[in-house]
Amino acid sequence: MNATAPNLQTPATALSSRSFAAGQSFITAVKVFWHAELFPALRAEYEQRAATAQHRPETVDDVGSLLRDSTLYQYFGWFERHMQRFKYAGRYGLIAWHRQQRGELLGRLDEASNVELDPQLEMPRYYVSCDIHQHPGGVWSDDVAGFVYERAASTTTPLAGTKHADLHDRFTDVIGRESSSPQRVLDMGCGFGKSTRPIAERFPEAKIDAVDLSAPCLRVAALEPHDVRYRQMDAAATDYPDAHFDLVTSTMLLHEMPPPAVERTLAEAARVLKPGGKMIHLDFYHLADPFTRFIHYTHGRRNNEPFMEPLAEMDLEGTLERLGFTNVRIEPFEEAEGALSPGFRPWRFPWTVISAERA
Amino acid sequence: MHSPDPTVADSFKPRPEQTFFEDPAIDRAMGVIMALATEVYVMRDRQFALERLLATRGLLDAAELDAEPAAADAAAAAADREAFVTHLMSSVLGVQASKGMTA
Repeated sequence: MNATAPNLQTPATALSSRSFAAGQSFITAVKVFWHAELFPALRAEYEQRAATAQHRPETVDDVGSLLRDSTLYQYFGWFERHMQRFKYAGRYGLIAWHRQQRGELLGRLDEASNVELDPQLEMPRYYVSCDIHQHPGGVWSDDVAGFVYERAASTTTPLAGTKHADLHDRFTDVIGRESSSPQRVLDMGCGFGKSTRPIAERFPEAKIDAVDLSAPCLRVAALEPHDVRYRQMDAAATDYPDAHFDLVTSTMLLHEMPPPAVERTLAEAARVLKPGGKMIHLDFYHLADPFTRFIHYTHGRRNNEPFMEPLAEMDLEGTLERLGFTNVRIEPFEEAEGALSPGFRPWRFPWTVISAERA
Repeated sequence: MHSPDPTVADSFKPRPEQTFFEDPAIDRAMGVIMALATEVYVMRDRQFALERLLATRGLLDAAELDAEPAAADAAAAAADREAFVTHLMSSVLGVQASKGMTA
């Protein structure tokens, strides 16, 4: 191949704040159309094709065969892939903008306290081999990657508002029902702290630890004044003593690692939990029908999420029971009012709460 | 963004982009179209902002700007518009602009 990678290092002219905001708002508006219009139209076309197919589609491959020559599906795939590329790597992309603000952003990171970094920590091979979310360099390799990820996440689900507040608050409600007054809490894969902050607010008396592989994300997390101890560590191999925590959580972590790492992470949760302690993950797992499964697996491919499909194919219930958990519950999660009702038409992630109790 | 780990270094080598259409030329042309669409929107946004600023400072009569042009103004714009359209559409004819090799 003779093509060279696009040069994202040297923008020709300064990018004004207005132009960056306008470019990003345009990209988000196209994504909103994709969620709210293209996806329902694709589902309608699929249902029509499935109704007249010789055999009722049962597998992901069946769905793929029905949609392969659909012009609508081709555009659906293109826009999913490339508007995300524009969002990060385009002329008005997050990378260009944050590179330009680099000096100021690095200055802000110096204010981060309550963060314990481990420069010797070896990044797992799976973590560095693919730039998840199409974030060039991934969420870990550049010092400003935490700010890039934070800004990006504000428009990941554009129909749900800008701060995901509803989603995280709703998950915290679920956590509160399972574990009413934990004294020690571990949030695994905390990223830039978006999942940890609502937990810290919900349990002001608890001592909360949060771990992640990404130093740039942890440094952004630690800019918030919450009383959380942020530490750079692999959730699958922490340094906490056995039976230390009352509650272990994660939000959108498990689908970012291959099944052996998922198993190690769940085993580590079992180790650090007290007997009777609760483990609650919010992730993508419950796929109600072959079309939803097909859309999820192909989203993984288009958005550089190589482990979404392997996670969805795992026997999580069996794995958790084997690792010494009881009361395993795997249930669809309603991330916004009405999102699980049959009339809800836009694209959504297959949100799922995976909870269990340490025996 | 550089690491001595060969796995990481390898991950920054260009990889062929995914394709979605039966003709990959459409995939690439769509990228060009959406890049232009983004530019158009960024320019619209900037133009609106400029108009608002000028109107706020009393340097622009927004009603005059928005009104359909008077006949004299329209005539003045016609020659430029025709030249623009001729250039835009001439590629469709598939004719060489200079005397060159036969096709």
